[in-house]
Amino acid sequence: MSAPGSTARAAETAGGDFVRFSPRQRLEHALVMSLFVVLAVTGFPQKFHNSGWAQGVVDLLGGLERVRFLHRAAGFLFALLAATHVAMLIRDVASGRARLSMVPTRKDFQDAITTLRYYLGVSDLQARFDRFDYRQKFEYWGLLLGGVVMVATGLLLYFPVAVASFLPGELIPAAKVAHSNEGLMAFLVVIVWHIYNAHLSPEAFPFDRSIFTGRISRERMKHEHPLELVGSQRSGEEAVGTPSAQDEEHRSREAQAPDG
Amino acid sequence: MVPPLKPRTGGTAGALAVLATLFLAATNFAEAALGAAPGPPQAETDDCLSCHGDQGLAAGKPGPGSRSLFVDGQAFADSVHGRDLRCTDCHPGMAEVPHPPRPHRTEAERRAGSREACKACHFENYRQSFDSVHQRVLARGDVHAPSCVDCHGSHTTVPAAQPRSAISRTCAACHRGISDAYANSVHGRALLETENADVPVCTDCHRGHAIADPRVENWLLRTPELCSGCHADPARMSRYGLSTAVSQTYLADFHGMTASLSRGKGEEAPRITALCIDCHGVHDITKVKDPASPVLKANLVKTCRKCHEGATESFPAAWLSHYEPSWQKAPLVHGVKVFYGLFIPFVIGGLALQILLHLWRVVVNR
Repeated sequence: MSAPGSTARAAETAGGDFVRFSPRQRLEHALVMSLFVVLAVTGFPQKFHNSGWAQGVVDLLGGLERVRFLHRAAGFLFALLAATHVAMLIRDVASGRARLSMVPTRKDFQDAITTLRYYLGVSDLQARFDRFDYRQKFEYWGLLLGGVVMVATGLLLYFPVAVASFLPGELIPAAKVAHSNEGLMAFLVVIVWHIYNAHLSPEAFPFDRSIFTGRISRERMKHEHPLELVGSQRSGEEAVGTPSAQDEEHRSREAQAPDG
Repeated sequence: MVPPLKPRTGGTAGALAVLATLFLAATNFAEAALGAAPGPPQAETDDCLSCHGDQGLAAGKPGPGSRSLFVDGQAFADSVHGRDLRCTDCHPGMAEVPHPPRPHRTEAERRAGSREACKACHFENYRQSFDSVHQRVLARGDVHAPSCVDCHGSHTTVPAAQPRSAISRTCAACHRGISDAYANSVHGRALLETENADVPVCTDCHRGHAIADPRVENWLLRTPELCSGCHADPARMSRYGLSTAVSQTYLADFHGMTASLSRGKGEEAPRITALCIDCHGVHDITKVKDPASPVLKANLVKTCRKCHEGATESFPAAWLSHYEPSWQKAPLVHGVKVFYGLFIPFVIGGLALQILLHLWRVVVNR
């Protein structure tokens, strides 16, 4: 979901880049990425403890005690990051500084169908996306909800005695199965889906830098987020510093674009 | 034959011993003079027994410190070595009479040195005995530490495991308390009452010669592997209607995972994670259905509390009692497992399919 004032604004650069992500969003991505790596590296040897490499990784990190400490510390920071993210979001939405651009809508389902029809060659019509397309929303909600499952089951596993004092004991092995599988799924989604979309896809290859630089080119905006581009032109007060020539171009495009 | 000696009767013992050796020297001389070959073992044995067959023959000053030098000729003849070994095979240099002085200075040294006699034939066991926890005690100069002969006997050596219960009885000579606990355990009772060949005797777990210190971490961490040696063996377990899944279900659980990923140190570790023995007991192990069993449902929470302080009555349900989760046993755990078994392929398959379709479209567009 958007951070304060994160609806696309034209950048100051002469190239006409747009600012897509605020510094806080970029920091959040960098943190969640690093924590994800730590959690995977310290988590998978425990899941796949029968494999030879698991013992190798544990030895490399200095023993199981330390692996578990790192895993729990990273999990705690991940929980903190998620909680901060949600808290800031509520604050920003409540104060009107952000719009709920990440909430799935009926259009997202239509877009998915349109895209699949296009991929299958049934239709030549391509979906036109707003600030976040349905794939990005899927990944965002997958991370957030998956994160909730991981944090909740992780806490259950960390404090089994306390949990069993007011909940059935069987929840603990169930939490272990869920934690282990949810973690595997998150890893696979990142490896398969995120790496494809951010690196290997012909549209992103070799590296979609926008989450690190915060910027996206006009070309990509037109192609990947046409509705957002239109929206940024409509709300003229947000398009601070846009060169007037480009402004003109936008207006003309907007006129041509079918109503999304 | 020599007249009976009375070496323990006081100050005359030394003089009598000298007389005896002189006598032996004389008979040896006579034998040599008559051109007698070393002869069969029996002949040498008879020679030695002419002195050592005397029940009263002893070394050292009379009293508690004295050590009997008596050898029961008949027992030796009946022993595994009686037919093939001559005395000097194990007691080299002792053909000389009077016997040359022995190299050891202390009783502990003498006991440690006695192993050298076995070395020539039993080299592998000799070598392993240096890795034994008994060796460490011996090296400290403790005269109670056993050497080969303390377990196997010296002149009365019989095959070690005939019957198997003899092994446990041998250890019991020193390890009284443990032996009593074992004798009342499910394993010990089966062994001592029926000579059951499936149950472990001491050496099956502790090994015979390279007996490790069972209190150190890296030995403790091996206990699941040790128990699995029998408890994962279908042939053996089927005879008693016991599950062979105990090992694998343990290893799949948090405790088992902790044990298999922990590297043991050669130090004493009071508690690493729950190993087989932490819940089931060690030497006092009982059937799981025994009312006194620490893993019986009624006793389980108490057992959990050994590590999990403050565990409540619902806590033991966190452990699936070596059952594989199923709709009957642990339906919640099984349900979560089934859910992810379907959900992960669905999600990842769907995403992979979309990627492939995308790539296909890109190729078609070109």
